[in-house]
Amino acid sequence: MSAIANDSDKQASSSGELQYIQYEGDKEETYLPAIRQLISKDLSEPYSIYVYRYFLYQWGDLCFMALDPLTNALIGVVVCKLETHRSGTFRGYIAMLAVQESHRGKGIATKLVCMAIDAMAARQADEIVLETEVTNTASMKLYERLGFLRSKRLHRYYLNGNTAFRLVLYLKAGTALKRPDMGDGAMGYGRYEGGDNAMFGAEAIA
Amino acid sequence: MQQSTRPPEPKVHDITEKFTRACNALEVGQLVKDDLFTLFESIGALEIMDSKMDSGFLKPGETLEHDYDALNSILPEELVGIMDQLLCHEMAWHTGYPLSQTLFTSVYIDNLLWPEPKTLAQAQFYRGSIPDERRPGVLLEALRAYCLAVIKCCDYVIAKVTGRDYFEEEDFCTHTYNRVLFVQIPLDVFMRELDAAIENIESEPDLSEDVRSAIITRLQFRKDFLIALDPDCPLSQLESYWPPIRSNLQPIKDTQPLGKPVPSSFTTKIQRRLASTVPPRPIVEFEFKDAFEKLQQICTDCEQATNFVDLPSDPIEFQSFLWAYAGRKPAPLTYARSYLGTILFHPETLNTGMSLPLLDVKGLVYPLSPVTDQSNWALSPPRNPLMPKSPRLQLSLLVDEFIERASQPYLDFWTALGQNRCRLRRMMTHVIIGWDNLQADAGIVDEDINRVVDEMGIREQVLHDALTTWTYHKKLWMVERIVLLGFEQDIYLPDEYASMYNFLSIIASRRALVLSRISEHHAQRIASGIIDTSDPENVEYASHIESLQCEATALQDLSAAMAKLYTVLLYLRLVPVPKRPFSTEELRYELRMKPFLALQPPEVEPFAQHQALLQPFGPYERPNAAFAASMLDPKSGLWTDMEAALQNAKGRLQGMKKQGAAGAKASGAETAWKEEFKGLVESAVLFGVVIARLKGAVRKVEGSESGVAVDVKVEIPAIVVGTKCSDRWIVPTVSQKLK
Repeated sequence: MSAIANDSDKQASSSGELQYIQYEGDKEETYLPAIRQLISKDLSEPYSIYVYRYFLYQWGDLCFMALDPLTNALIGVVVCKLETHRSGTFRGYIAMLAVQESHRGKGIATKLVCMAIDAMAARQADEIVLETEVTNTASMKLYERLGFLRSKRLHRYYLNGNTAFRLVLYLKAGTALKRPDMGDGAMGYGRYEGGDNAMFGAEAIA
Repeated sequence: MQQSTRPPEPKVHDITEKFTRACNALEVGQLVKDDLFTLFESIGALEIMDSKMDSGFLKPGETLEHDYDALNSILPEELVGIMDQLLCHEMAWHTGYPLSQTLFTSVYIDNLLWPEPKTLAQAQFYRGSIPDERRPGVLLEALRAYCLAVIKCCDYVIAKVTGRDYFEEEDFCTHTYNRVLFVQIPLDVFMRELDAAIENIESEPDLSEDVRSAIITRLQFRKDFLIALDPDCPLSQLESYWPPIRSNLQPIKDTQPLGKPVPSSFTTKIQRRLASTVPPRPIVEFEFKDAFEKLQQICTDCEQATNFVDLPSDPIEFQSFLWAYAGRKPAPLTYARSYLGTILFHPETLNTGMSLPLLDVKGLVYPLSPVTDQSNWALSPPRNPLMPKSPRLQLSLLVDEFIERASQPYLDFWTALGQNRCRLRRMMTHVIIGWDNLQADAGIVDEDINRVVDEMGIREQVLHDALTTWTYHKKLWMVERIVLLGFEQDIYLPDEYASMYNFLSIIASRRALVLSRISEHHAQRIASGIIDTSDPENVEYASHIESLQCEATALQDLSAAMAKLYTVLLYLRLVPVPKRPFSTEELRYELRMKPFLALQPPEVEPFAQHQALLQPFGPYERPNAAFAASMLDPKSGLWTDMEAALQNAKGRLQGMKKQGAAGAKASGAETAWKEEFKGLVESAVLFGVVIARLKGAVRKVEGSESGVAVDVKVEIPAIVVGTKCSDRWIVPTVSQKLK
């Protein structure tokens, strides 16, 4: 049984009427403008179209959308990637998550994240990570309910000077012991030890 | 220009048609992406004609350039206002914002810096020649002197920050957008400008006295601040630079209301000329009150840092000072941390008779020892290299070999202690790996030392495997701090507290064990008359080891008691436990232990063992009958173990107190040491109250899962990061239930 089904009944009933679908490359014209609009609403500085395409072109199947069945309007979206991290793990990354303000508090974000986690788990991800602002309690609660733990505090991580938590969810035993294949275990003290996920975390869910 | 050096004319190829044709072969949304196009690049990409991304985008009617005329005369009150606005921007920069959003939005600053002046005389609010009636008057000249000094301050700050380990953008933005901040021009030139300005203002007839004095105070402050920031200040005089600044701070604050800000002299339009590839970003609005606080903080922190110069030449004193400094609240800004780092890594600090790592080793495992006897280093090798070296020479060579090997891990350790609090924790998880490798190498040198010592027949005088012991002790100390910082930084969720305090207790118990080996050996040497107990070195050593032992044991017992309490709360379902449909306890344990899994020793306990310890009554949601029985019996192990651990901890804290900051080798950071100690004691006391209240409130509940309940309200306080040091000890509150 998938984890989504285990989730609270409340959201199943209240969000049941929404349609949850996976993004596909040929839907760019239909959905990308709405995705951009929804996500950039809460950003001081918008991402260029290339950021969206970077994710959607390579990992469109890890993007899930909640649509209004009548109007087809985009209500919520989650955008992810999944690739081998330099630490040696096959790492999923939740880059963006947003739900329209009027629809928040109904478990839509949780459902979208669950779909993304299920999809990444099915593709043998070792772990899933993301960053979120330390003040974004709704976002932290959401992920922590699902099993994420805070692994690092990142001082002044965002452009606006705010600090972030990195949240991590292990999906497989032995993940902590994985090492890079190439032997270049450069554990440098880089700006983003977590990888190249510069200043992400559009967590507009509450 | 010579004809021959002229570059060839660029050739222009129109590719529009080719490009359009090629594009037609693609669907919308179909991406041509090569492997070199990274996420980082996609983030750096800008969309032309999007006002939020394209800094050159003009709204209808908007002009490209600002229209503020820096030569327009200003009111005296406006001079005060602009000076204070500049101070606000300067402090915003100090907290981590780039110059492009702070000081470089000032038209005055921009005019001085661009086009780049060849001499300071050219650095005017104008370039070239202007009619006499447009020449700046006394007020604008004073503003110019002030601005020049502000710019030079930035130059000095950047020099100091980049001279140490820091993280660009996270800690600080050193980017100057091709503006040269008068790097080549020496301090006295700026002093002369400021002195001249002060003189002119003093003799300017049309000024009210309060405004005149407000202006002079600011110019004087700028002089003192600039002197204090000079990177070439001699170490011995550092402490004399900060008090004069402090004396000028209050008058600045008091006269701030006199000033009249000129917001129009700041504009984001300057950003367009600073960097074309960055989206326009808003001016950082920093209130004077906040800026003033930051300024005060920088001055206090730097002044505090100058105390480092007077520390005894003891690496543990250094370590205590660095640890205390990193823990100051509010956290010292990057400049202040770099300032301390510069003192720490100054040749005068590092040039001690004996190398600092060696002093550290000696102070823990080789007190009054033949291994580190100074005379061993005075021996020359035999002229004939085929002849055997004397054992004492061999000892000095072996110790030197180890110290050289240890120098990088040691440096890394100190570097970590100089980072921002978040980095400190994370960097330490890397540093312990280096120390783990060092420990393996220490074992090899130890074997050689053991052999030589046996040859010399002085086995009983020398601690066996001393270098391994020293390395292990330092590593364990760091692991403890990593966990404590985890609590402080709100990394753990309440239902992890039991597990993390338990881990902390295990680590501290290992360190206590190491220390008891050291102390036993020391006692034996005293018993066999090898050490004269009245020797001052011995007195100091004995006090230090006692202090360390007390601290490690107190930590072990207090965290053990905490772990037990949180375990009880888990059984009582009084700790919020998330559902976690995607995770298991074992996976979370692995994630938490990740930084420590590579260490050998201490080896992380296998999960089964960990679980057995943390769940003595079976699963939290379905405890066995023994739980209720133990809870209801005040004499059960559940309560007595907890109470005994707490009692032990309190006793050990008393022991720590007896040795004081000096015994802990924290005499240079005594106030901070006492503060931290007080926090520990308070936590222990509070904790005792919690146990007693909880114990008194247990009652039997037939048919419930745990079989018991408590008639009190238990709350786990939220951690407010950066508030007080005892927040590493999260004591729940127990209060009467509202009926």
